[in-house]
Amino acid sequence: MSGKRFEPSIVAFTCNWCSYGGADLAGISRIQYPPNSKVIRLMCSGRVDPLMTLEAFKNGADGVIISGCHIGDCHYSTGNYRTEVRFMALRSAMDVIGLNPERLRLLWASASEGQQWADTMREMAEQVRELGPSPLKGGSKK
Amino acid sequence: MATEEVPRIGVFVCHCGHNIAGTVDVERVAEIAAHYPNVEFATHFMFMCSDSGQQLIRDKIEEFSLNRVVVASCSPRMHEPTFRRVVEEADVNRYCFEQVNLREHVSWCHMREPEAATEKAIDLIRMSVARAALLVPLEVKTVSVEPHTLVVGGGVAGLRAAIDIDSRGFKVTLVEREPELGGNLAKLSTLYQGNEKASDVIERMVLAARISENLTIMTDSEVVDVEGYIGNFDVTVKNNATDKTEKLRVGAIIVATGFQSWVPEGIPPYGMSLDVITLAQLEEMKRDDKLLCPSTGKPPKKVMFIGCVGSRQPGVQGHEHCSRYCCTAMVKAAADITEITDEVLILYDDIRTFGKGHEEVHRSAHEKFVMFSKFDRTKPAKTTVADGALSVKWRDILAGDNLEFHPDLLVLVTAMIPPEGVEKVSQLFSLTRSADGFFNEEHIKLAPLTTHTAGVMIAGAAQSAKDSTDSTTQASGAAAKAASLMARGEVEIESTVAHVLEELCSSCHTCATACPYGAISFDTSKKPEIAVVTEAECHGCGTCAAGCPSSAIIMRHSTDEQITAMVEAFLMPPPVMGGGDS
Repeated sequence: MSGKRFEPSIVAFTCNWCSYGGADLAGISRIQYPPNSKVIRLMCSGRVDPLMTLEAFKNGADGVIISGCHIGDCHYSTGNYRTEVRFMALRSAMDVIGLNPERLRLLWASASEGQQWADTMREMAEQVRELGPSPLKGGSKK
Repeated sequence: MATEEVPRIGVFVCHCGHNIAGTVDVERVAEIAAHYPNVEFATHFMFMCSDSGQQLIRDKIEEFSLNRVVVASCSPRMHEPTFRRVVEEADVNRYCFEQVNLREHVSWCHMREPEAATEKAIDLIRMSVARAALLVPLEVKTVSVEPHTLVVGGGVAGLRAAIDIDSRGFKVTLVEREPELGGNLAKLSTLYQGNEKASDVIERMVLAARISENLTIMTDSEVVDVEGYIGNFDVTVKNNATDKTEKLRVGAIIVATGFQSWVPEGIPPYGMSLDVITLAQLEEMKRDDKLLCPSTGKPPKKVMFIGCVGSRQPGVQGHEHCSRYCCTAMVKAAADITEITDEVLILYDDIRTFGKGHEEVHRSAHEKFVMFSKFDRTKPAKTTVADGALSVKWRDILAGDNLEFHPDLLVLVTAMIPPEGVEKVSQLFSLTRSADGFFNEEHIKLAPLTTHTAGVMIAGAAQSAKDSTDSTTQASGAAAKAASLMARGEVEIESTVAHVLEELCSSCHTCATACPYGAISFDTSKKPEIAVVTEAECHGCGTCAAGCPSSAIIMRHSTDEQITAMVEAFLMPPPVMGGGDS
């Protein structure tokens, strides 16, 4: 593995309605982005239990993306309000335990925003690569 | 959650012709998948969704006594229903099926890195295999369908749909926000191909609607709230004239909210002179037999049309789509006015009169001596105004000449765009929109009239720019969809709802405040009281389960264990069984 560029592992919790559609559209439009993130399809971003996110970091994720419909556009009306509140709480918690909150990102992407999806996947891969491997799996200072 | 049976998983990797296999090494992916825990069989095949692909799945289920099936192919938004049906035909519960998206999420977006794409495909399949091992069969539920359809929008599409539904003997309510029915079509003069008056067509439809037994018309009205689900929507309609609201229970909804004609406010030459108008404005003048120059009030002698204004112009004026009505509408309007003017000139980028009978309209414009000139799309025509007179200069790229024309009336043939208020409609019915702002169909070819909201259909220009011929065709199709739903009388719904584990509930009410639908109440006969989910009202978002501090809520088909199994399989791959022999 020596000499190889660090490729971060990123978990992308993605709602079924807007964001999964946006990710599909990125593919349909042949927009190219790095393959670091792996999508876990949930019905709503509101399904993401903060403990799942922490579990992902504990298991060695270098970054986590939570992606849902834009506020006001949620398939379940208000499911993503909770997502936002939980996201803020999670970032504070990460700060407290010494895990850079930049490793967690919230993305609102509609089914028509393939470009935004691809851009965020690229930005996140680059940003987390910059931060280095997660300290929870050892080997990083950040 | 414990499963009674030992998982026996089959993994089926699809080539999708060259779509997946052109980038992902499907053979290697299938070979590796065969060694994952609980996987009894793995293979790859050209098209899993084809008849032979479906048969292969059914055969292997039988041969290997598979009880869980993972298909690694396209987006589940496309073929999950297909494969769920296939496994059911082989007596595997539909909820024991899991799909991996190797096309939209892998091969199509990592086309230039085949090795990395193959690695990602391997990861994704490993994740889904881990989840599949924890899937449990769920009972398939049905709900009754209220035999009543709501049609939103009283233009030509909405009218057609409503009349069709009525003719099948079902109750239908047509809601139109304007005081009159007819929508944009009522603003036109005459229609191609038969030169019928638009008002005659609309009048015939409105008459048919008014004498219909099962059809209720609500004009001046808007839908302000939609609750419920397929078969059982509770819709609130507000009458804007009286401020009164009415509640309706409907089983299906057809959204036919149409379009608006783009007015290029602030973009020259529009606004340079009163005599620069849009085709929509010209049509209203023609309809009223008042084709006059707005500046002078006199009939124009020379009229010029410019095509594709705001259409096929990505990034410039914002509309990438071809509006699909304008070529024919433009040549028809030009041909129509040759009798009352001296000179008519059409400045075009491309002309494609594609529909049935449209070429004849195009030919008739030539026969009536309408002049045609093709401009260079990279160098648009320059318009100037001196002493109130318009002058247009451009380069004809076929002749290679610089030309000039002094029209009395300059008609911009502008794009169709989504109507005002489209955002609100999109929210009300949970519809997604394409980049050009029109509502998305469920699938452009496989499900062109239904949407991602079960029970909600779309028709006409609400779906994409199109002419009234195509709009009415689509409307009849949407009406047939609604009628078949109502005729069946019941429909299957997802069993993916929340369930409370009584013994773990700590009565904290977090779930009840999180639920967007008020589907969680409390059984006060128990001490302490415990949360209870009303399944018919649960939409399955899972935000209650995510909030429950006691992990007392199970989200069926999306359990904590199923989700974390995917996370773990991604980040902590299990040792490959039988590794080394591949």
